[in-house]
Amino acid sequence: MIIVNYCVSIMLICLGLYAVTMKKDLIKVVIGLGIIDYGVNLFIVSVGFNDGGTAPIYTIAELLNGAASTYFVDPVPQALTLTSIVIGACVDAMALALVVMIYRKYHSINADDVRRIRG
Amino acid sequence: MRFKSGIQERSIVVKCGADSFLPFAVTFGVYIILFGTVSPGGGFQGGVMVASAALLLYLAYGFKNATKALNPEVLRVNEACGATLYVILGMLGIFLGANFCRNVFFNDGQVGDLISAGTITFMGYSVGYKVLTGVGFLLLLMLGLLAPDDDEDEEEEVAVE
Amino acid sequence: MFDYHHFPVIAVMILFLGAFLVEIFGAKNKAVRNTIAIVVAGISTVCIYALIKPVFFDGEVISYWMGNWAPVSGYAIGIGYEVDALNLFFALLTVTTFFLSGIYSIRYMEKDEHLGHYYTLFLMLSGGVLGLVLTGDVFNMFVMIEIMTFAAVALTAFRNRSFGALEGAFKYLALGSIGSSMTLAGIAVLYMSCHTLNMAQLSSILGSQPLNPTTVFAFALMFAGLAVKAFIVPFHTPAADAYMVAPTSVSMMFSGMVNKAGVYGMIRLCYTIFHAMDQSSLQILLVAFGCVTMFVGVTMALAQHDFKRLLAFHSISQIGYVITAIGLSTAVGLSAGLFHAMNHTLFKGLLFLTAGAVLKATGTTNLDKLGGLSKKMPLTTICFLVGAFSISGLPPFNGFASKWMVYQAAYAKAVTTGNFFYAVVTIVAVVVSVMTLASFIKVTQACFFGQCPDSLKDTKEVPFSMRLPMWILSVACLASGVFYNFVYEKVLYPAMVATLNTVKYIDSMMGAGYSAAAGVQNHLVDAPRLSVWDPISWLLLFVICLVAICLVVVLGDKTRGRLSDAEGEPQDGKYATFFGGEHALHSHVGGSDLFWGFKKDFKGYFNVVQGAHDGNVNTYASWVVIATAVIAIFMVIFVK
Repeated sequence: MIIVNYCVSIMLICLGLYAVTMKKDLIKVVIGLGIIDYGVNLFIVSVGFNDGGTAPIYTIAELLNGAASTYFVDPVPQALTLTSIVIGACVDAMALALVVMIYRKYHSINADDVRRIRG
Repeated sequence: MRFKSGIQERSIVVKCGADSFLPFAVTFGVYIILFGTVSPGGGFQGGVMVASAALLLYLAYGFKNATKALNPEVLRVNEACGATLYVILGMLGIFLGANFCRNVFFNDGQVGDLISAGTITFMGYSVGYKVLTGVGFLLLLMLGLLAPDDDEDEEEEVAVE
Repeated sequence: MFDYHHFPVIAVMILFLGAFLVEIFGAKNKAVRNTIAIVVAGISTVCIYALIKPVFFDGEVISYWMGNWAPVSGYAIGIGYEVDALNLFFALLTVTTFFLSGIYSIRYMEKDEHLGHYYTLFLMLSGGVLGLVLTGDVFNMFVMIEIMTFAAVALTAFRNRSFGALEGAFKYLALGSIGSSMTLAGIAVLYMSCHTLNMAQLSSILGSQPLNPTTVFAFALMFAGLAVKAFIVPFHTPAADAYMVAPTSVSMMFSGMVNKAGVYGMIRLCYTIFHAMDQSSLQILLVAFGCVTMFVGVTMALAQHDFKRLLAFHSISQIGYVITAIGLSTAVGLSAGLFHAMNHTLFKGLLFLTAGAVLKATGTTNLDKLGGLSKKMPLTTICFLVGAFSISGLPPFNGFASKWMVYQAAYAKAVTTGNFFYAVVTIVAVVVSVMTLASFIKVTQACFFGQCPDSLKDTKEVPFSMRLPMWILSVACLASGVFYNFVYEKVLYPAMVATLNTVKYIDSMMGAGYSAAAGVQNHLVDAPRLSVWDPISWLLLFVICLVAICLVVVLGDKTRGRLSDAEGEPQDGKYATFFGGEHALHSHVGGSDLFWGFKKDFKGYFNVVQGAHDGNVNTYASWVVIATAVIAIFMVIFVK
């Protein structure tokens, strides 16, 4: 239960939400989306921590000596985080591609100009 | 604001750096993919490392030469082949009587060997192949969006307002 | 291989396999691409329809562990797929929608380029939604939500030269990504307290002890995340833009499958995983959200000038009906909600397909520029009228039966609890239904009746493969309205019982006796059979009245129906119809002219609501954040 990790991850999520809701430049909005993802990833990894546990792999030295340690940190949140990192990378890539195309069409990436559909 | 039209000049330092770094990056990435079930790493991590080859080629040689070395159409088709292989390996379990994604062959090795985990090892390899071709294609696609013709005009103005 | 236990996984994986095969083979060759897409969609449809007999009729719950990783000493260690009647209900809606949309898009999209990418994304979207509704693992549900969101965003931006496509896709991606991140954070908090990801085991852990603030916070986050996917107000803004700019076969899939997947997620969350539906605070929250959604959706729809955006707001409003009915947490309410979800897929799919036919034939969806299309496209007009009568709730179509059940459920809840709030809910539901009818009269008049403008003089009817899905959906709308009792007995009653029967859900997945050992019981146990109304006698009465009116008109006075010349001069312009008879020139009453008095009277309200939809991504994101905060605070204080 690492307090620092949880505090930082909540701060990252709030920072990302601030960027998405308050910043007018679309690139900053995309960066905000990325920061929210990183904050959630840090949170998930910290959930699996067991105090005093080792990494959830067997090393060759342990196998040869026959005394494999069994007190691991939880490997399930690590698998969740891997998937989430991939998803975050794909969201950022797709959002940036859309921003490039929006710039070509609208000649501006200010959120106040990119609003032809309203009402 | 206008985008800078690509890398300005092919400096010799960048070319030498990319030339010497590229084999190590690719080899290390392939090692991480191959030993996915034994040590940390696996398909996605190793695949991204191998795909950095596309980025290094772009930085050193420019977009046209990078696409000559790694043809985007071939990369796109290979990505789909890797994904199809993954689904077919998963369906092997159903064809041989068990559930989806069941380890149905090579699954009686020792812990610590290379081929010891069964079908999961090969599914990991196909994921690694898919990711390396897929991320390479993605990088070339986005770089192509930004700087489509940066080779012919090395004397172009720096157009940033 | 043909053991029906494998069919759920085969149905999902074959769609992904088809997507990858289209990517390899289908880039240049049109016949190969269409064949692969239709064959794969057909195999998936057949697999799901073949599960009707074991799951609906015999009442079995299919539980499937991937890789044969069965639970070890009471702990679930694998990814499980579990198909009970509720899952199969939504899966049937999903496969019907994407199969009909696939047939429709063969001719509809033939003039677009990059069609290889279109079919890949189409199959990935279908696979994602089908995986979402069939899975029994909460993280697998999150991954399928992400697949669905990516494919949906890419398909929204597909026609990237058309008006507003790119900005609609960007807003959908930004808000959808926030929703997904909240869902993931909720799953992480839930894992922190329960250490498992399997829905059945979560249900037994959370059902055996009261909820503590950690799990309630996880509930709030997942609730808000799934509400973003179901497009409830105030999370509905990307839906309004995305349904409008996407190609119409894709809009039909959005309104038919994608928001039903969000609704399914909310039902699973509230009823099965958290066992929280017998608390009146949660019922009030869901019903309040449903009412606001109904009302805002239909009032925004009255003010629209674009055909597809109007249909989008009506879609949002009908989902409000579904959420209200589900939130009532009675057996009648739950079956009313499921029935309305099914009917919404059918009639809204039909309406979107007719909008696509109009768009393909005329090239525009602006209601002020259309008119008089009933003479050029008569078959499309008939299908549109069936859809419009269904959504407005006119008998004998299916919209009437399900809306009647919703009113009945809300009124019964008001009587049994004595709470005035539920009486208000009934009144709001009836008023929204009237306004829906008004809005569709406006659309019918603006688009299909009246005079045909000169620019549309040579529109032709759409090809047969586009008309076939419309005919199938029209027949389904009529049949499920007339044979309402059959639908209730065979389809809705098993689905409703399966939702309330948490014990069976847990025991099928984790082994018999697991829920008894954990101390979980079913909460709502009454499930009366109901008979609402008799459609055949109503149809007879309707026909008799119609014949009587026709006789009166035909045999009546010959001067009836003719206008006399007004005293003084005939006026000019568009109001000349009212004074000069049919000798006036272009006398078309456009879509914006109906109900102008209503809109003028409530100008203040319309200005506020329309001004709040200002198209800025920051504003929409701030609504999402504020609504999540409100949900979280409300739940932590009131839900125990």
